[in-house]
Amino acid sequence: MGSLNYIQGETGTQVKDVFISPDAPHTLLLDKHADYIAAYGSKKDDYEYTLSEYLRMSGIYWGLTVMDLMSQLPRMNRQEIVDFITACQHECGGVGASIGHDPHLLYTLSAVQILCLYDSVDALDVDKIVEYVKGLQQADGSFAGDKWGEIDTRFSFCAVATLSLLGKMDAIDVDKAVEFVLSCMNFDGGFGCRPGSESHAGQIYCCTGFLSLTGQLHQLNADLLGWWLCERQLPSGGLNGRPEKLPDVCYSWWVLASLRIIGKIHWIDKDKLRSFILACQDEETGGFADRPGDMVDPFHTLFGIAGLSLLGDEKIKAVNPVLCMPEDVLQKLGLKPELLS
Amino acid sequence: MHGRVKVKSTAQQEEEKRKEREKKLKIYTAARDACFSKRKDGVCDEEALHLTQQLLSSNPDFATLWNYRREILMHQETVKDESEVQKMYQNELSFLESCLKVNPKSYGSWHHRSWVSERAPQMDWARELSLCDRCLSLDDRNFHCWDYRRIVVKKSAVPVGKELEFTDRLIGSNFSNYSSWHYRSTLLPLLHPQSPESAPPSGSSPPSPQTHSHRVCEEQLLKEYELVQNAFFTDPNDQSAWFYYRWLLGRAEREEMISCVFISRDEERVAVAFSRPVQAQSGGLLLVLDGQPLQVDWRSIHPRFKHSPVWICDLPPGSINNIANEHNLTVHWPEKHTRRDCALYTGRNESWCRDSATDQELFRSELSVEKSSVLQSELQSCNQLLELEPLNKWCLLTIILLMRALDPLGYEKETLAHFQTLKEVDSMRSAYYSDLCSKFMIENTILKMEYAEVRVFSVSNKNLTTLCHLDQLLLITHINLSSNQLRHISFHFSMLQCLKVLEAENNCIENLEGVYCLPKLEEVLLKNNNIATLAALRPLATCPKLRLLDLRGNPVTQSADAESHLAELLPSVACLLL
Repeated sequence: MGSLNYIQGETGTQVKDVFISPDAPHTLLLDKHADYIAAYGSKKDDYEYTLSEYLRMSGIYWGLTVMDLMSQLPRMNRQEIVDFITACQHECGGVGASIGHDPHLLYTLSAVQILCLYDSVDALDVDKIVEYVKGLQQADGSFAGDKWGEIDTRFSFCAVATLSLLGKMDAIDVDKAVEFVLSCMNFDGGFGCRPGSESHAGQIYCCTGFLSLTGQLHQLNADLLGWWLCERQLPSGGLNGRPEKLPDVCYSWWVLASLRIIGKIHWIDKDKLRSFILACQDEETGGFADRPGDMVDPFHTLFGIAGLSLLGDEKIKAVNPVLCMPEDVLQKLGLKPELLS
Repeated sequence: MHGRVKVKSTAQQEEEKRKEREKKLKIYTAARDACFSKRKDGVCDEEALHLTQQLLSSNPDFATLWNYRREILMHQETVKDESEVQKMYQNELSFLESCLKVNPKSYGSWHHRSWVSERAPQMDWARELSLCDRCLSLDDRNFHCWDYRRIVVKKSAVPVGKELEFTDRLIGSNFSNYSSWHYRSTLLPLLHPQSPESAPPSGSSPPSPQTHSHRVCEEQLLKEYELVQNAFFTDPNDQSAWFYYRWLLGRAEREEMISCVFISRDEERVAVAFSRPVQAQSGGLLLVLDGQPLQVDWRSIHPRFKHSPVWICDLPPGSINNIANEHNLTVHWPEKHTRRDCALYTGRNESWCRDSATDQELFRSELSVEKSSVLQSELQSCNQLLELEPLNKWCLLTIILLMRALDPLGYEKETLAHFQTLKEVDSMRSAYYSDLCSKFMIENTILKMEYAEVRVFSVSNKNLTTLCHLDQLLLITHINLSSNQLRHISFHFSMLQCLKVLEAENNCIENLEGVYCLPKLEEVLLKNNNIATLAALRPLATCPKLRLLDLRGNPVTQSADAESHLAELLPSVACLLL
């Protein structure tokens, strides 16, 4: 039942957090998670599944990456997926979330990430992707997500992540792109969507990842940002994405990966975070939820497993904190994004 | 999917739900397919607007449908007269309002609203602003709405002062509103810049509250202190105000400049330190020796760093080796219009020219002297609060920061005691406090060293967990890091280009990555550490003058053939203690 409640802070102030029941899972249920993901894609006629079609490409990336991190990738239908991705590329070079959906940087990155897992980038027209990404850069260095012009630092990350996986970073004006991202830096050392936007752990992940891929991490105020990030940890051990918000498993990825990138992962209590992530597992169905007792989904399942990998779980493959892909895949590509020590 | 609680249900309930979902699925896919096929046929009619509206009102993240809608609206613009177009966009805005009521955090809906606001012949911006007000009154942290508000404010030229008043109102009704404090941090430097002369030159780095942290005039700064104090006295556990306060107490970033130039006859080498990490190769750093520009290859102190605060170059052989000659060196940094001169006199082996940390008051407040009495009274207030709330971590940390801004050496003892309490009351973040405390201890040691005008840096027995500010230590010859809790000598350590003796006994050092290419290094004392492998010692092989190495009490000494391997790896070492 509902696990949300307010627990009392030490001096009586209400702290937003969750309570973890003593009988919550505390061991890693890898087999169940692999079964959950393997079964997820087979429910194609499901209402909920159909409703999430607009993000299918990312959904596949979440599912396949978590399977690869658990060394279970061969259970997925490689040929079907590669053919699907080919069918989602548009004439302009961009990739849509699914067949009939418009191209967007978000799904172009997911498609390239999936094909890197499968070592089959040639299933897409790579030159056209590069042209597509390049065409979305604006005069101020920012990136639009698609031709309709929404600007967001998430898309700056998508652009450089896509291009670095393809080894084509020089196609864009990197200096201008960096200038834009830095103009989104805030008083707390974090980043938001656009200049003036409030810091948010998801955007911070995108921007630190962006600065890593462009070799500009020295531009960060790592001490200040690291403090804000480690203050995301709540008494339950879980991490929130902004001050005064509830903890959520996906932030164990966004906050933790950012801390790893800036060399401050030791500033949080790893054991407590591990317990929180494990408590978000569903013992019956497999998979992870955002918080203990909620419904599971592939998104939180990836970020739960990837978070545990960053915390050093040896039953899971090592994950790269910048690209959220298995390190062995990036090694084959010769990619080693910059990290602060 | 966030925050959906899992509910147990019976088999019968499940079956009913399944049937219901099946029905919904049919309706949904029929509408979707109808939309897709209409779009494929290039149809941009009212019916298509109706169909997309039906789908988007329950699924506003379906981006492709918003795109189709925009195509339809753009087509309709060409067939309707202006008043009809205005009406059409007004309808669109009402539709969006209903979408936002159901799902106030949909990227798609908010982006479409700003798109419509660009296309509509007339926009009632006051109405948009009041929509934002209503939305923020339901959830004052909705960042989508805050971002849209900023667009509206810009479009309708709302004065910055009015927006600051808006944050006054929000903060007044609820101090715990991080979004409002954040907004203030972007508004204040616009409304109360430090002074017109100190405005950044156009074309320099992009503006942000980080780089412009203290482009707020002193008078306003003092008023802000008062506001924040009201906040944290009202609710001492509300982190929002404390984060903001730390920003107010912070310092502007240092300007990029050359902080030190060092020249050595023995190595025929020049080292240049900068106030921030730079890329000297692309920055076109120029070196002029005795009036002659020299072609030199600049390299960062470690191949890992593309950007580094210290750069070195070798001079052409024979150019300065005669001790009877005097030389004048100038380093130009054209990109930042800055330069620094350094004279190497007859009979001298080395020379340098620098700003010291004490001259620059690097680690102190930058408030004017007369205003530092204000910091003193801030400290008093915080001390009062601490009496009421002796375990309040925010208050403890802030007191530490105020003490450092006022008199870092004078308050050292109290600072250390407060750190100890912090680690106990907020044990989840004890590693953060240890690193921060290490930083402050290193800063204090730099200050003491500079007052004493020596080139010896001693920070033994201070519970150090990390090293920092090494760019300030370019000139030191002896460093004593013994009896701390260091685990690494990181890459940055290779900035200590003049180092002769490294004492680091009784730590838990596992690797020595940063003991790399130190041309003068002679002695390395590592007794009682955690060096376990020969590989960990490999960086030492890049230090040509190393002659004494003490490895007693390290696991690496356990292996039977350690001595012969080490002799092979480090042939220059005459005295090896195992």
